[in-house]
Amino acid sequence: MNESTIFLLTFIIYVLSALFYFSFQFSKKDKFAKTGYALAVAGLILHTAALIIRTIESKHAPFTNMYESLSFLAWSSILAYVIIEKVYKIKRAGAYFLLIVIALMALASSPVMPKGATPLVPALQSYWLWLHVSVTLLGEAFFAVALVTSIMYLVADSTERKGKAIKSGLSSEKLDSISYRCVAIGFPLFTLGGLVFGMVWAYKAWGTYWSWDPKEVWSLITWFVFALYLHTRIVMGWKGRRSAFIVVVGFLAAIFTYFGVNYLLAGLHSYA
Amino acid sequence: MKSVIRFLSSVKLAIVLLIILASTSIVGTLIPQQRMPSEYLAHYGQLGHLLMRLQLTRLYHSFWFVALLSFFALNISVCTLERLSAKFRKTFSPKPETEPKALLALKIKDHFKKNLGLSQAGVEVTDELRRRGYRIRAKQKETTHFLLARKRISSWYGADFVHLGLLVILIGGIISGLMSFRESLSFTGQQTLAVSKASFQVRLDRFETEFYQNGAVRDWISTLTIMENGRPVLSRAVEVNHPLSYRGFVFYQSGYGWDWEKPTLELVAKKKDDTAFSQAIQLKVGEKAKLPNTAVEIVARRFVPDFMIDDKNEVVTRSLEANNPAALIEGWEAGQQLFSGWIFAKFPDFGRMHSSKETNLSFELKDFKAGQYSVIEVARDPGVNVIWLGCALLMAGLFLAFYWPAREIKVILEEAQGKTEVMAGGIAAKSREAFEKEFQELMAALRRSK
Repeated sequence: MNESTIFLLTFIIYVLSALFYFSFQFSKKDKFAKTGYALAVAGLILHTAALIIRTIESKHAPFTNMYESLSFLAWSSILAYVIIEKVYKIKRAGAYFLLIVIALMALASSPVMPKGATPLVPALQSYWLWLHVSVTLLGEAFFAVALVTSIMYLVADSTERKGKAIKSGLSSEKLDSISYRCVAIGFPLFTLGGLVFGMVWAYKAWGTYWSWDPKEVWSLITWFVFALYLHTRIVMGWKGRRSAFIVVVGFLAAIFTYFGVNYLLAGLHSYA
Repeated sequence: MKSVIRFLSSVKLAIVLLIILASTSIVGTLIPQQRMPSEYLAHYGQLGHLLMRLQLTRLYHSFWFVALLSFFALNISVCTLERLSAKFRKTFSPKPETEPKALLALKIKDHFKKNLGLSQAGVEVTDELRRRGYRIRAKQKETTHFLLARKRISSWYGADFVHLGLLVILIGGIISGLMSFRESLSFTGQQTLAVSKASFQVRLDRFETEFYQNGAVRDWISTLTIMENGRPVLSRAVEVNHPLSYRGFVFYQSGYGWDWEKPTLELVAKKKDDTAFSQAIQLKVGEKAKLPNTAVEIVARRFVPDFMIDDKNEVVTRSLEANNPAALIEGWEAGQQLFSGWIFAKFPDFGRMHSSKETNLSFELKDFKAGQYSVIEVARDPGVNVIWLGCALLMAGLFLAFYWPAREIKVILEEAQGKTEVMAGGIAAKSREAFEKEFQELMAALRRSK
């Protein structure tokens, strides 16, 4: 089986996983959520195989163009979600989170994304490519989980405000605290991969560790937003809605750093 | 003075500054930075003057942005120092909790009676806590023991390390801004060039471009030799992503190209009325060469790698790649120009000579050889090591703050009628669920033992 077949199979498994999670949403039968989780894990394993095959075939890291990096982001998102659900028991988030993963997979497989593995341009031939991109995207995957739990918080919170009880056993307070956990895991990873490894690589490749390139500036802005989140929360005791809004803004900044900068602003980071 | 310090140490100020820094940084990504003034005027019109006056066109190096960053650094310093003394007190002279009520008001807590005397119970609790990695401070009264058990309290200093790291990074940035030095060295052929501000010179021994099978560039490799007082001391191949460091100077492969100024051309002259006549000649652009067996002298006047005629009807080159190489040649005899015209390497039949007199000579551009040049960027940046130190502090701080959660358990043991009442409460600022589990396990273990 070649990489694209496995990729397609992975995609289908993620869709099935989402369907089971949604069935759980409506029927409240635990076994649906369990199946959804099992499928997500199966998809993760298959996806891992696809990435490994891609790496062997192309002889370089599986994130050097948009198709590859979207696929890798979907992979790290599923990985982050599988871990977070196991630890914090948030199976209700599965349905919404899988939607994000499916969106990433759909975007990756859309015809506008060139899928061919091209040989690496000289600037990308470095082991820092592995370190910089994988750690950054893993950090962003945790931000994505935080986004889902934050939006779920906002919904749960408005339900509670109307005086209705939350039926799922996932109170708004718990969602709020899980969002914080995800940011707390993702922030050091994003700092290490995006900023520190990025600076080291930039110094190795271009001779300057920081050149105020739009991608650099936008990752700094993302970092500022999450730093703001942590300070308002830890020092000033902000919680709930305000915190959830900051997570949404931070995630939008991260997404803009990832996509927007490439398509809307010109700069040195013209690879992916 | 006090109010100034209170202002500078407030987290609210830090948050306002973070918001301002983030939003002004966005502006800098929307307006192209550090271009020529004429570009701004062409693109923004009169607004261009305003943008330049407000230094929005070099925003990150502008006076006000640097001032903003300095203010932020001051805020971070004061903020961190302010909170440090309380942390030191907590670390070095902690007081065990002596008030049972305060202990039992904690969120994570438990209490039970043990069929043991005070000292025995005390030993048991201490041992169990030690086994779980806690360090213990104790205070004793006649019928009561107070214990304070803590582990991983270095986590409290995580934020301080992060802040220190940021300050060090900013200092590194200032050092780079003031003291870093960069220049480009363009080597044509085997050249030795001096590096300004350095006592040594650099020689290019070899430059090659490696290609993939599909023709895409795999790598540019320059073999450089460092020359000290005319003697070679170090030779290394420099490629993209693999710079050479020597005495604080770092050499990067940054560009390449062909030197199209004076390539060597190989021409073949033919005669229309004599098909047997075929005469090859070699000459550099700008030079003359005699066409053997004739009285004609050939001059290669110009060469372009990618021939194109622009709007002004002049010959220019479209690119620096050899896509459509063409040469302008002239023929002279006895001080008189016989003919002149462009000949094309890829279109040998296309060359037409304009001439005052009829000529039966025609020319083909058979080959051309241009020297390749390699551009090496030299940088010396004394701020770099400071930056790496700052990054290490930053990451160590983040690790301590988020992945190394501090734990604190306070225990009061009170003896009454030969039994001991054990009261315990736990404090964890981060990852409370995990701590709650640990706390419950600890309590269960203490209950079980005899």
